[in-house]
Amino acid sequence: MSQLRTDSEGLAANFPALLVEANRLAASVAMGDHGRRRAGVGEDFWQFRQALPGDDLANVDWRRSGRSDTAYIREREWEAAHTVAIWADDAHAMEYRGKGERAKLLALALAILLSKTGERIAFPATIAAAPRTGEHQIRRIAQALTSVNKSLPEYGILPEFGDLKAAKSVLLSDFMGQADQIFPRLNAIAESAGMGCLVHVLDETEEDFPFDGRVIFESMGGGLSFETYRAKGLRDEYRAKLASRSAALQEFAHQAGWQYLKHHTSQSPRAALLWLHMAIGGGR
Amino acid sequence: MSGLAFLNPWLLAGLLVLPLLWWLLRATPPSPKHLRFPGVNLLIGLRDVETMPHKTPIWLLILRMLAVAAAITAFAGPVLNPEVRSEDDGPLLILMDGGWASANDWADRIEVIETLLDQAARAGRPTVFASVSQPIPQEMPYKDARDWLPTVRGLQPQAWAPDRAAVVDWLNHGAEFDTIWLTDGLRHEGVDLAATLSAKGALRLIGTVNRPLGLLPLQLDAGQLTVKVIGGAGADEMVTATAFGPAPNGAEVAFSSASGTLLAGENSTELVFDMPLELTNRVTRVVLQGQGSAGAVALADDSSRRRKVALVGSSIDEGPQLTAPMHYLRKALQPNAALIEGNLNDVLLSAPDVIILPDIGNLSPRSASSLLEWVERGGLLVRFAGPRLAKEGAGQVEDDPLLPVRLRAGGRTLGGAMAWNTPKHMQPFPANSPFFGLTVPNDIEVFAQVVAQPSPALAVRSLATLEDGTPVVTARTQGDGRVALFHVTANAEWSSLPLSGLFVQMLERLSISSASSSDTHAVLAGRVWMPERVLDGFGRLGAVDNAAPVTGERLAEPVGRDARPGLYTSGDLGVTVNVLRVGDRLAAMDAPIELIGQTSEQSLKPWFLMAAVVLFMLDILGTLWVTGRLSNSGAMRAAGVILLVGLLPAPDASADEARAILAANDTVLAYVITGDANIDMVSAAGLLGLGNILTERTSVEPVAPIGVNVETDDITVLPLLYWPITPQQSGLTDTAVTKLNRYLASGGMIVFDTRDAHLGSGFGVQTPNGRALQRLTESLDIPPLIPVPEGHVLTRAFYLLQDFPGRWIGPSVWVAAGGGASNDGVSPVVIGANDWASAWAVTDSGQPMFPVGRGLTGQRQREVSWRFGVNLVMYVLTGNYKADQVHVPAFLERLGQ
Repeated sequence: MSQLRTDSEGLAANFPALLVEANRLAASVAMGDHGRRRAGVGEDFWQFRQALPGDDLANVDWRRSGRSDTAYIREREWEAAHTVAIWADDAHAMEYRGKGERAKLLALALAILLSKTGERIAFPATIAAAPRTGEHQIRRIAQALTSVNKSLPEYGILPEFGDLKAAKSVLLSDFMGQADQIFPRLNAIAESAGMGCLVHVLDETEEDFPFDGRVIFESMGGGLSFETYRAKGLRDEYRAKLASRSAALQEFAHQAGWQYLKHHTSQSPRAALLWLHMAIGGGR
Repeated sequence: MSGLAFLNPWLLAGLLVLPLLWWLLRATPPSPKHLRFPGVNLLIGLRDVETMPHKTPIWLLILRMLAVAAAITAFAGPVLNPEVRSEDDGPLLILMDGGWASANDWADRIEVIETLLDQAARAGRPTVFASVSQPIPQEMPYKDARDWLPTVRGLQPQAWAPDRAAVVDWLNHGAEFDTIWLTDGLRHEGVDLAATLSAKGALRLIGTVNRPLGLLPLQLDAGQLTVKVIGGAGADEMVTATAFGPAPNGAEVAFSSASGTLLAGENSTELVFDMPLELTNRVTRVVLQGQGSAGAVALADDSSRRRKVALVGSSIDEGPQLTAPMHYLRKALQPNAALIEGNLNDVLLSAPDVIILPDIGNLSPRSASSLLEWVERGGLLVRFAGPRLAKEGAGQVEDDPLLPVRLRAGGRTLGGAMAWNTPKHMQPFPANSPFFGLTVPNDIEVFAQVVAQPSPALAVRSLATLEDGTPVVTARTQGDGRVALFHVTANAEWSSLPLSGLFVQMLERLSISSASSSDTHAVLAGRVWMPERVLDGFGRLGAVDNAAPVTGERLAEPVGRDARPGLYTSGDLGVTVNVLRVGDRLAAMDAPIELIGQTSEQSLKPWFLMAAVVLFMLDILGTLWVTGRLSNSGAMRAAGVILLVGLLPAPDASADEARAILAANDTVLAYVITGDANIDMVSAAGLLGLGNILTERTSVEPVAPIGVNVETDDITVLPLLYWPITPQQSGLTDTAVTKLNRYLASGGMIVFDTRDAHLGSGFGVQTPNGRALQRLTESLDIPPLIPVPEGHVLTRAFYLLQDFPGRWIGPSVWVAAGGGASNDGVSPVVIGANDWASAWAVTDSGQPMFPVGRGLTGQRQREVSWRFGVNLVMYVLTGNYKADQVHVPAFLERLGQ
């Protein structure tokens, strides 16, 4: 009972904030995207229909509506919607300096954007695993992202897509785990999903390794620890290993026809979202 | 006396722990830092290229050892040049000089004695305390040291030098004892008290850094007042003496100051006051600044005055010079007096001290009446006989107020070819004569004289007589002044008196010319003198309790208990007796003296503690650096803070100047800083509130008020000073008094506020604040005061007001009577007790700070109080401009017609 309560309270605390922020982020990208799309108007126009209560105000065609007394909705040509599978790493490692929040924010904002264009979104291995579209799915995703999971792994384990046939996949993670746990899964996902994006979310300090002196490094979950007497001495080697990891990810993306983005928490999430939107939504 | 000692030496054993600490610290590597970091996964398998030292580096260890050692040493209480603390419990004599030379740092001395008595009491030593200047007890009255405390606390310095010879006699019959002697550091010739004391036991001499300075009696040198400062320390010293005298309103004010340098090798320096004659003659005392002792005060008497003597008669003598009466007078008076010559009406205008009429018989009634008026106001008229006076005064029936005696017709001639009798000689002077003590040379002969009509008063009025008893000099008081008559001429026609030195001396005795100091003894001798006012040890003139007459012979000797320094009178004569006499010297004792407040004992504890703290700080930095945590910019900043602590910038010296410029550029209301933070805050808030009201309602737009320290700040450009009185305020220094007097004289205004509504007493005399006000304004040049009269400009400068409430309504407000001609009739002071600042005070948000009265009445009271403030500022800024309104009714009446 108390568990449920803390969970729900945590949910209540985080859920609207994340959703609001994601909405704001998505809106900013949609606005920026808007003008470009109008240039190609006409090709996927389908029909006008009278606006009904519940229609989004943004869909009203004011030019058409201006000619008569009622408002009209410009409906686009219906296309068979794609399914986009999104995975935001929520392992302990992502708790480091807001990486997890950033990944979730990007995931949710992308989901909102995609849902506006009618794509079906799936968050595998969560309550929103089934591909759906619309406001309800967004809320479900938000709930999934903000739910408190007690038994988290130390490093993110890519989910199994199972029989989910996703046209596109977006994977947000720091990809810090063991290589032999990451790449086989990635290959499996790449096979089931046509194309995808890897967003490598890192913190500046993970990239720079600005430590010195005698340090005991512990993993975020506390499961692993490593002691050094002179952290500075390890800097180059560490950075080489990190570089080789991101090189391996890029190599994978290249081979699978995916796209790779390295995103730092210190950077603006807008840039990453725009990139994602262009990579996923823009390709239509 | 030199070397290092420890108060708690056993604590040094703590140093033994150091090797253990060394071993412990060496074994312990710097503690690791725990960091949560997701990149661990990538780190695993890496190997340290370079290893950090597992052990603390040696320099850090040494640093820590030093820090700990410094701390241990500090707590062991190291003392440099430790005083020898005698463990003795034998009898102890605590002796102090207690004369005027000890007065300057009296409080310090008493404090030291109390400490010494405490120490002696703790050691259980039987103790005797004695002041050399006080009466010496018979035996050695040993008591518990604490029992002496009341005696010591009640002790005051005496105005004379300690009589060390008497103490030597007293000590010579006594058992052995140790002595602590608080000496004034002056050597007394012929008395070696230190040797006597050393012979009795251990002797500690305690003195002060400041060698006492003294002033020798005042002298006139070419008409200028000079004073000699004696004494002096090893270094050059600036000395300033200030001359005080009565202002026209009777209050004593500083007339002038003279400064000079007392050179290191020299024992004296002469200061010359550059003052006009009128001021020089009014000087009553000269005080050496910074020395609060009787020896640093020189009282003025006739010898330091240069009389203005008027010789009436034509200044150009056409006849032979040597027989002209004026010639003899001129020669006799010129060295010591300021001479004026002219006709009577002219010289009266120059307000002389003395007027001499050499053989002038007929005075016009008008001249006679103005001369009489001058005499009755305190002038001294000296007349000389001669043919004209003899003719005019013949057969007087009634007293002439301008002659001491009635004269017979004609006079008489003694000796000569046609006479039976021979020229007469003068008798020695009688004891009641001011000439008493002067020796009469045998060769003085009187050939002719005017003769007084016999009367009962004649004997009393005769100051000098001939052998046959006929008077040669007579005198009589007339009003506040005196009239004296020489019954002979001022030239050598009637007598040989003007040819002799006695003539000059007699004129001096008549206070015509300033007496030379060599004459003082002669004046003193043979008379009995009553003290009028005496100096106390601190150099303050006070009334005499138990006045006992003193013989002149005693006064001629150095001052003491039975002949205190001060002002003495005997009949008409007055003398001042100063502590130091001409020829006195102040020489330093040549014994090693411990100095109060500069004891050679110096505790090194703070220095060791400071060193320990600094070392620990360095250790922190070092440790941070060793563990690699110093790279952080925050740590660097912290290090900066650690290192810079204490290096605060000195306060800006130009602030003063900026304030002066501000005050000169804008109208600034200012208050006097009392030292009581609360009251100062209220003053500032009050003037701020008044400033707001002024800005709202009038064209006066003052900037934010400032607080001034009257001792140090420049107040010349401030139009108004609000001065709340607190009992704690200390008296003003002479500089401040001079500054304030100049401020008041040049158009400034001070509003004194005792803030206590007088609480039921008249003019604040009984309240503590009222007393403080009296004390503070004692030496200020404040004109006679009256309560604000009806129709005073203050009641109509801006608003029409009947009363002047502040937070209280009540006692009247006092201003200068009559307005005065200076400063546009603006009263230099306004004195009240209504706590105006509290009524005016506003908070930062503009709300009244204190409640005033109740309800609407209270609001009205605050409003009237603000109006008073507006009127006050208008009054001080515009002067009597609104005083014209007095005539408004008359104008209106005229217009109506």
